[in-house]
Amino acid sequence: MVGLLSIAIFLPAALAAPTFLLGRKNTKMAKILGVGTTASVFAISILILVVFQYGQAGFQLSESAPWASTFGLNYKVGIDGISLPLLMIATFLSLLSAAGSWDQITFRHAEYYALFLIFETGIIGVFTSLNLILFYLFWEIVLIPMFFFIGIWGGPRRRYASLKFLIFTYSGSAVMLFGFLALYAWTGTSAYPGGPSFDYDVLAARIPNLALPLQLAVAITTFVGFAVKLPIFPLHTWLPDAHVEAPAPVSVLLAGLLLKMGGYGLIRYNLLLFPKAVSVLWPYFTTIGLITMIYGASVALVARDIKRMIALTSVNHMGYVLLGAFTATVAGVSGAVFQMFSHGLAVGMLFLMSGYIHEHTGTRNLEELKGLRGKMPQTVSLLFLASMAAMAVPGFANFISEYLVIQGALSVSYLFAIAIAAPALTVGYFLWMLRRVAMTPPVGPKNDLHLHSILILVAFLVPLLIFGVYPPPILGSVITPTVEKWVGTIVGLGAR
Amino acid sequence: MALLLLTPFLSLAVFGLLATPAGFLPFRKSKLGLAPFVCILGLAIALVSTVWLGFTNPSPVSFGGFQVDLFTLFFSGVLLIVAIFVTIASLQYMREDPNKGPFFGLLLLSTLGMIVLAASMDLILLYVGWELMSIPTYALTAFRKKDPNSNEAAMKFFVLSALSSALIVYAISLVFGVTGSTGLTAIASSLSTAGPDFRPFGVLAIVLFIVGFGVKMAVVPFHMWIPDAFEGAPITIGAFLAAGAKMAAFAAAFRVFIVGISTFNVDFYSTFAIVAVVTMSLGNVAALMQKSFTRLLAYSSIAQAGYILMALATPFTVTKVPLGLAGGLFHVLNYAILKTAAFVAAAAVATRLSARDLDSFNGLSRRMPQTSLSIAVIFLGLAGVPPLNGFFSKVMLFTGSIYSPYSWGGYLALAALINSGFSMSYYGWVIKRMYFDEPVDQSRIPEPRVYMAVLWAATILIFAIGLYPDPWIRLVQGAAAALVPPLGH
Repeated sequence: MVGLLSIAIFLPAALAAPTFLLGRKNTKMAKILGVGTTASVFAISILILVVFQYGQAGFQLSESAPWASTFGLNYKVGIDGISLPLLMIATFLSLLSAAGSWDQITFRHAEYYALFLIFETGIIGVFTSLNLILFYLFWEIVLIPMFFFIGIWGGPRRRYASLKFLIFTYSGSAVMLFGFLALYAWTGTSAYPGGPSFDYDVLAARIPNLALPLQLAVAITTFVGFAVKLPIFPLHTWLPDAHVEAPAPVSVLLAGLLLKMGGYGLIRYNLLLFPKAVSVLWPYFTTIGLITMIYGASVALVARDIKRMIALTSVNHMGYVLLGAFTATVAGVSGAVFQMFSHGLAVGMLFLMSGYIHEHTGTRNLEELKGLRGKMPQTVSLLFLASMAAMAVPGFANFISEYLVIQGALSVSYLFAIAIAAPALTVGYFLWMLRRVAMTPPVGPKNDLHLHSILILVAFLVPLLIFGVYPPPILGSVITPTVEKWVGTIVGLGAR
Repeated sequence: MALLLLTPFLSLAVFGLLATPAGFLPFRKSKLGLAPFVCILGLAIALVSTVWLGFTNPSPVSFGGFQVDLFTLFFSGVLLIVAIFVTIASLQYMREDPNKGPFFGLLLLSTLGMIVLAASMDLILLYVGWELMSIPTYALTAFRKKDPNSNEAAMKFFVLSALSSALIVYAISLVFGVTGSTGLTAIASSLSTAGPDFRPFGVLAIVLFIVGFGVKMAVVPFHMWIPDAFEGAPITIGAFLAAGAKMAAFAAAFRVFIVGISTFNVDFYSTFAIVAVVTMSLGNVAALMQKSFTRLLAYSSIAQAGYILMALATPFTVTKVPLGLAGGLFHVLNYAILKTAAFVAAAAVATRLSARDLDSFNGLSRRMPQTSLSIAVIFLGLAGVPPLNGFFSKVMLFTGSIYSPYSWGGYLALAALINSGFSMSYYGWVIKRMYFDEPVDQSRIPEPRVYMAVLWAATILIFAIGLYPDPWIRLVQGAAAALVPPLGH
């Protein structure tokens, strides 16, 4: 019986080959098949939203089948309140990014959309798989199309950026894989009946019996793998290069989804699997998160390229995820998950917009963008809204998520009051950017976006505003019940 | 009926002897002559009978020192696939060569030597197989008589190889002196009770075996001949050496060390672990500095040998299923397919561009899209990216190492994984050249169909094994269990 999740995972990959073959001669066909497939996957994810049972904590829509069962590998997928929001932004951002690629990708369309669909399979697989090797497989499937996206369709320094991206993230994954294999071996001894396994639920049940040094070893190695993707300071240097060189729709995927893989991995495979190790390591991890937040914001302050600035906001904002997750409080973890959701939308919108601005004005330099109001008035008003979302102005979902993270952090220790400096810096660099780009005397002939581009950008805002004003549908009935269940099991931190 | 078990061997021997004279006969006005088709027929019969025997007769049958079991059949299957790919690619690569008869005849006889090596349970037979495998490859490496590079490569290869043969003979004589036998099972039982007086001789024999096999397996520090030999030899013979001869040497090492010497109370596992780490690290670092595609393949093959060596560094007694050993065998299969295909792709590029340097790969995806795509897939497979075949064998190898009772097992696996991550830098670099860089010349190059047939077959295998590894894992587990029957149960 093939379930909804499997369809959502494999539909894009199945249509990648037809997209490539039919699209080679006929560019329009490639675009239609690419966007059409992402749209149908989004429709399937809406169906998943309908079928999902709200307010429940366990895994739902689970499917499992033997795959290489001689080696403990099973095909196991399922979603809970932590994966559902990420699954939704995965399908939603894929659709919007594919639609945004319509104008912004100008050559080799067939290859582009075929890779795009393979990417979508990978990203959905990451957020739904419940077997460590299956997870790793999807994790790597995401990597390869991204390497080609940056290398073929990227900017002037694309060759350098793509190779740097590949080597950084692949090395990170190799270290992470070591953690997984060690976990398999150490929980596969005769002390654990049932034989070695890579299944998430089996491992979650066995890990509490594992000796603490071994737990620490696995927690640290997997942390490195996720941290490269997240990224944390000082493993973030691939990010500005990759984001700046990638074409704008791909930057949407990078910042909106690829970074979330790191955050999701940290929560699902680190925090929730190794409660004992986390109770030792959390001060270090949260400190790294705090440093990342403030470092990202400070560097964004001096960026001259609007795209580079947006890329560095991601470093800034993903620090919240790390900080929130490893406070191991209900508020912190829920905030981290919600932050991934809202940051994905806000930064996706900003990146796509930077692509449009570059396309229409020929520059991304903040100094040269002065007086943009004259050229692209509607875009500038949208830029205001997107910046407000990223600054976490109340009314946008970002406010709620960042508030929750800081609340969680403060409930653990008053020292985390430093975290409040980060939003201040964020507001600082966004306002300064707006001051230079938007609040200068308008210049030049009007050359604004087409209606369909505007609509794509507005689509990002809708969920941000809805859930910013009224978060319960996603926070109270999806994220929090799951987080409460898991965080309740975290030993040693349970008191908080 | 027992003779039926020898079909693969007999087929290779008979057709191998026939192929050389057949080279003088015409075949339907084709430029190729009869020899290649005799060769393919012989290999096909051998492969079909191997597969058939594997399905019907997995229990081991012994003819004195000659044992047909799942391990033999597994290696025979792998080596025959390599030989078939090499033969088909040579149809194109050797098209203009007048001496096709000897070429294909030697190829078959060398293949016979390889699978005899995998079947031998006796050191004398092992040595016969070793020489039967090696001697034709010297001639094949020097096949371009008038090319000084080819001659130099063959000379270097010959001298080192002859040295390795000599060391192996010496090791055999020492083992015979200690145990009074050349049969591996007899050696095993004799070594398990060997007194301390014999210890220095046993240790010396082990060292000599490691060096002797190590030359052919091209492990550091006995790897020097590989880059030159691959560079100088006809490219398809490079594939044969890298994927065929090298893997056959591993078969011999598995037989000797695991069946014969493992009962001797000497810790050769740690030695292999050190050699494995040094080999993979040096291979990966050196590969990054190469300017020629075949040399890059040579160093990447050195690195891959390091991964396979981890199987010998993992004591196989620790789990019910010898995971590390099974992973090693799985990697032998995957590596053989990947490496052969990589060399065939190199041959495709070399015949069309008459260049082997990496600069000629710039923008290759515009000029030879099918070749470029398969090189990309092969390289990602070699780097161990899922869902390609190289991933699962690496996972099994590394997990097996973590299971090891030695405290360094985990570190070995970590070193191998870091190496694996690092190797992406040069694999990715070549992909970058092919796909992201601009070619000097934009013109489309016709891609020879014969090469494309091999490359597509290999690409499909790479994906098929990677997407559904279960039957293959069962196969290698069976082969691994056949190697260690008393301990596997």
